Amino acid sequence: MTESAAAGIHPQSAATPAPIAPTKLKVRDLHFYYNGYHALKGINMDIPEKKVTAIIGPSGCGKSTLLRIFNRIYAIYPKLEAKGEIVLDGENILDPGYSMNRLRSKVGMVFQKPVPFPMTIFENVAYGIRHHEKLSRADMEIRVEQALRSAALWDEVKDKLKQSALGLSGGQQQRLCIARGIALKPEVLLLDEPTSALDPIATGRIEQLVEELKSEYTIVIVTHNMQQAARCSDLTAFMYLGELIEFDRTEQIFTKPSKKQTEDYITGRFG
Amino acid sequence: MAADSLLYTRRRVVNAIALAMSTLATVIGLVFLAWILWETLRQGISALHLQLFTKITAYGEDGGLLNAMVGSFIIDLIGIVIATPIGVLAGTWLAEYASGTKLGESIRFLNDILLSAPSIVLGLFVYTIVVLPSTTLTNGSTTFSGWAGGVALALIALPVIVRTSDEMLRLVPSTLREAALSLGIPQWKLTLQILIRAARSGIITGVLLALARISGETAPLLFTAFGNNYLTFNPMDKMSSLPQVIYQYANDPGEGLHAIAWAGAFVLTMFVLLLSLASRLVLSRNKVSHD
Repeated sequence: MTESAAAGIHPQSAATPAPIAPTKLKVRDLHFYYNGYHALKGINMDIPEKKVTAIIGPSGCGKSTLLRIFNRIYAIYPKLEAKGEIVLDGENILDPGYSMNRLRSKVGMVFQKPVPFPMTIFENVAYGIRHHEKLSRADMEIRVEQALRSAALWDEVKDKLKQSALGLSGGQQQRLCIARGIALKPEVLLLDEPTSALDPIATGRIEQLVEELKSEYTIVIVTHNMQQAARCSDLTAFMYLGELIEFDRTEQIFTKPSKKQTEDYITGRFG
Repeated sequence: MAADSLLYTRRRVVNAIALAMSTLATVIGLVFLAWILWETLRQGISALHLQLFTKITAYGEDGGLLNAMVGSFIIDLIGIVIATPIGVLAGTWLAEYASGTKLGESIRFLNDILLSAPSIVLGLFVYTIVVLPSTTLTNGSTTFSGWAGGVALALIALPVIVRTSDEMLRLVPSTLREAALSLGIPQWKLTLQILIRAARSGIITGVLLALARISGETAPLLFTAFGNNYLTFNPMDKMSSLPQVIYQYANDPGEGLHAIAWAGAFVLTMFVLLLSLASRLVLSRNKVSHD
């Protein structure tokens, strides 16, 4: 990748790290209001392509809010408002004219708690694909298998694809949710504290999976767990009280952060 | 330490009292239920013969309740078939499309009023909107009918089904909605194919409970289905029903009719009990599968 295509440094975004890859999501002067409450205050950041970007910060700092703007899932609730720009492949996704269907096929999301649909394991993955594409039965089977393999779940479920997804363990359900997301072949994958409801072994699996998936997807992960951010991300953004305090390479953030607040947070002085 | 142990003793005593009172309350409730079952069985046992199910009420003390059972079955079926789709759709609208809106809140409130409306009022209402017009339209050949009874029972079942569908859908975690919408699934598909499926067992339970409720209703049938001493499968005819025959027989001086009424009451109570058990079963099966 060339320098010119790489993430540019915006004058307002002191927190934008040195470019490590082309920018996939360009956030410019983003403000967010919950029923009038100013929750995000002028966020600027360049999220690089096919890297893992972690967002950390204390509860209520706006990290999940930010993530939930990237696929506009916030828009299903009344009285929430986002202002500013988020540019994905040259288009502002906050533009009211931007097709929600298109956005959500490009930007997938996995939530804090695993939420499989009340269907079979196969249908959980096939359901989303079917909405966007018309596939033959055989092609569908291939796609579902691919997605389950990418989510490192295939070997565990290949003999029970016809069983209800609700019978899987929490960790398996979460990997199923990831499979369901990547089955649509999105470009960006948003993970909102994907391991907070899982045990350490299941968490390890998901982290390993994130590592594998970044060769194909741009991943943004919100996490409460700083070790997790340190382990599996390339870049880390630290947010506090609705502002992006610092955004840099992960090793930089965790070894010599440039801001005092960041240092206080990662050393456990508050948060 | 002394203050502590005093505090703990006090808590233990309060706990014991609360436990004893709630156990007592449960026992009282169960005693009455058992008593009702026992009393209906004791009084009706002499009439609990095969002919209760094979003979019609026209034979009086030598007859059974066949026509009333068939009538009840048909009228309840009409009621539940009318009320279920309307109720489930209305509940879905309330939970998924109108939550938080003034209109939705008003309709939910009105539904609660309908839920507690006296059933005899609904019977009179159906008398004026179904029975009287059909009498005029058919020059008196169709007056009271199974249809009219079914409509009256539908009005009783409807708010129950609306309420349970609404509540069961609102119990579905919002993350399931978000997950589906994140895949680009449109709202109508989400509602029909995911949310209703997730709330299915709760909705079925609501329908079964509504059926249990209407199968015991007497008042709304007096002015609508009226009653019929002969067996009929035609809902355009007057029809009898179990509760209505029980009511009629209980008011009759004949001892033999009393026994039949008690036997009918026992059958009806058992039916309602089994329906309630079935609905519990549906719910608990679902709980297991969610773990």
